[in-house]
Amino acid sequence: MPGLKGRVVGQHWYTPYVFMLPGLLFYAAMFAWPAVIAIQLAFSDYDIVHPVRFSGLDNFVRMAHDPRVWIALRNSLLFVLMFLPLTVVAPLFLAMLVNLKLRAIQAFRMLYYLPVITSMVAVAVAWRYVFNREGVVNWVLGLFGAGPTDFLLDRHWALPTVVLLEAWKNAGLFMMIYLAGLQSVPSDQIEAATIDGANAWQRLLNVVVPSLRPTFAVTLVLSMLEAMRAFESVYVLTRGGPLDATLTLGYYIWSKAFEDYDMGYASAVGLLLWAIMIVLAGFNLLVTRRRDI
Amino acid sequence: MARRLYRRTPRLNARRIGLYLLLIAVAALFIGPFLILLSAATKPAGQDVFGFPPDLIPRPPVAEWFREAWTTIPYARFLVNSVIYVGITVPVYLVVSALTAYPLARIAFRGRGVFFMLFLSIMFLPGELMLIPRFLVMSELGLTDTFAAVILPAILSSLGIFLLRQAFSQIPDEIVEAARVDGANEFAIFWRICVPIVAPTLAVLAILGFVSVWNSFIWPLVVLTSQSKFPIALGIAYLSGVSGTDVRGLAAGTVISLVPVVVVFLLLQKRILNSMGGAVKG
Repeated sequence: MPGLKGRVVGQHWYTPYVFMLPGLLFYAAMFAWPAVIAIQLAFSDYDIVHPVRFSGLDNFVRMAHDPRVWIALRNSLLFVLMFLPLTVVAPLFLAMLVNLKLRAIQAFRMLYYLPVITSMVAVAVAWRYVFNREGVVNWVLGLFGAGPTDFLLDRHWALPTVVLLEAWKNAGLFMMIYLAGLQSVPSDQIEAATIDGANAWQRLLNVVVPSLRPTFAVTLVLSMLEAMRAFESVYVLTRGGPLDATLTLGYYIWSKAFEDYDMGYASAVGLLLWAIMIVLAGFNLLVTRRRDI
Repeated sequence: MARRLYRRTPRLNARRIGLYLLLIAVAALFIGPFLILLSAATKPAGQDVFGFPPDLIPRPPVAEWFREAWTTIPYARFLVNSVIYVGITVPVYLVVSALTAYPLARIAFRGRGVFFMLFLSIMFLPGELMLIPRFLVMSELGLTDTFAAVILPAILSSLGIFLLRQAFSQIPDEIVEAARVDGANEFAIFWRICVPIVAPTLAVLAILGFVSVWNSFIWPLVVLTSQSKFPIALGIAYLSGVSGTDVRGLAAGTVISLVPVVVVFLLLQKRILNSMGGAVKG
């Protein structure tokens, strides 16, 4: 870092701002300005045709009496609950698997990572084939005597199927985060535990998991936020259906705004979603901080 | 040495084979859906796409569905659009991110921490929540249904500024001081000395940028109305909505859209994989 006291030769008071100018302009136009509009709209009535009209807390009163907001909230929380074990626990085992020192292990990492970089639209097409009434999943279930199910058209199965798609698509990312964490676990600790007679399961619980605490902090936040804002998967797979079974907050906001042009109300629901995400992130920060002390 | 290998090999082999079988079974879960897609895209019209038990081998493999997907929708147009979106967004994204991150790492000024937090706050303004206000900003600027509207929101990301700031601050002072003594100004130091040193980080961000622009769907869906400006992801959604599109044709169209990303991934996989875990971990 250059000297903190006095000007460095060739630098002026305005030098850092000149560098940051484009970034600040984009920040102002694409983040700050829209954020102000979003907050303003949440307290207004706006249908694109008529001018924006301040309506105080009307939108929030309406939200409290809107059963679909509650359905969306419940579905989003269910989404988080199902998504968490699939992205915080399962990828740890994937990471342990691809952390083995075997030939061609990099190829397996690559294959597991492939869904992360492909588009949700493309992946959704593939999943509709896999979960088709006459698709592979129903065939496998049939071997165990279960009748064929239209997963995406079934009120009980639609949401878990969407969650599974999101988890499958993101598993590789979480795996790589854990892999980076695993590779920084001191191997002498694991060896010491082995010499002390700890079996693989005990080593996992007593040595690996405690030293991965900072990594868990990252995956936990990432997983919760990802699940809370889930929208694209819902849009391309089910459009919130059947009968609102996959109506998440993100999808409800979109449909209110761009199908009903009820922009003010949609922004109010958006503010609710934003508040939930901030609370979840803050809660995570608190919990992981306390553990560190 | 040789003796030890000889004695250990048999036991290891059984364990190894078991592990490889497990690795392959898990791999099937992750690439299975893509293989099913490819199978549907290459099956002749007379062969069922679905059925029990699943029959994934096309007999014989045909190319006609790729041709059909290509002509049912203006596929080439969508591909060109996506190339334009990537070609403009990624270089601008890299330049703006590097310019912004440089002073945050290498120039001492009051409020540096505040500015850094400001740019990190982007993390808490996810695109899903910005759809409505950004749409209104674009209407205000008269930019709805333009290429610019698709590109502008993608220019700034907290990850880009975070990683580049980290990379810039790891450059040893001596290198920079030597140039400064020689009379180089700050921009020359940034452009000729520091940017080349952080090239690996820029490469990672370029790849991530390419992938995210290529796959972007929701924002273009909201801000574009003319089909002639659709990126490829929107094109696939459009194809699946065209009535009478055969499941094989849809599969073929989807496969084509995956090719560029998969090729880039295969070529640069080491860099991508090694970056991801580290990037998020910070």
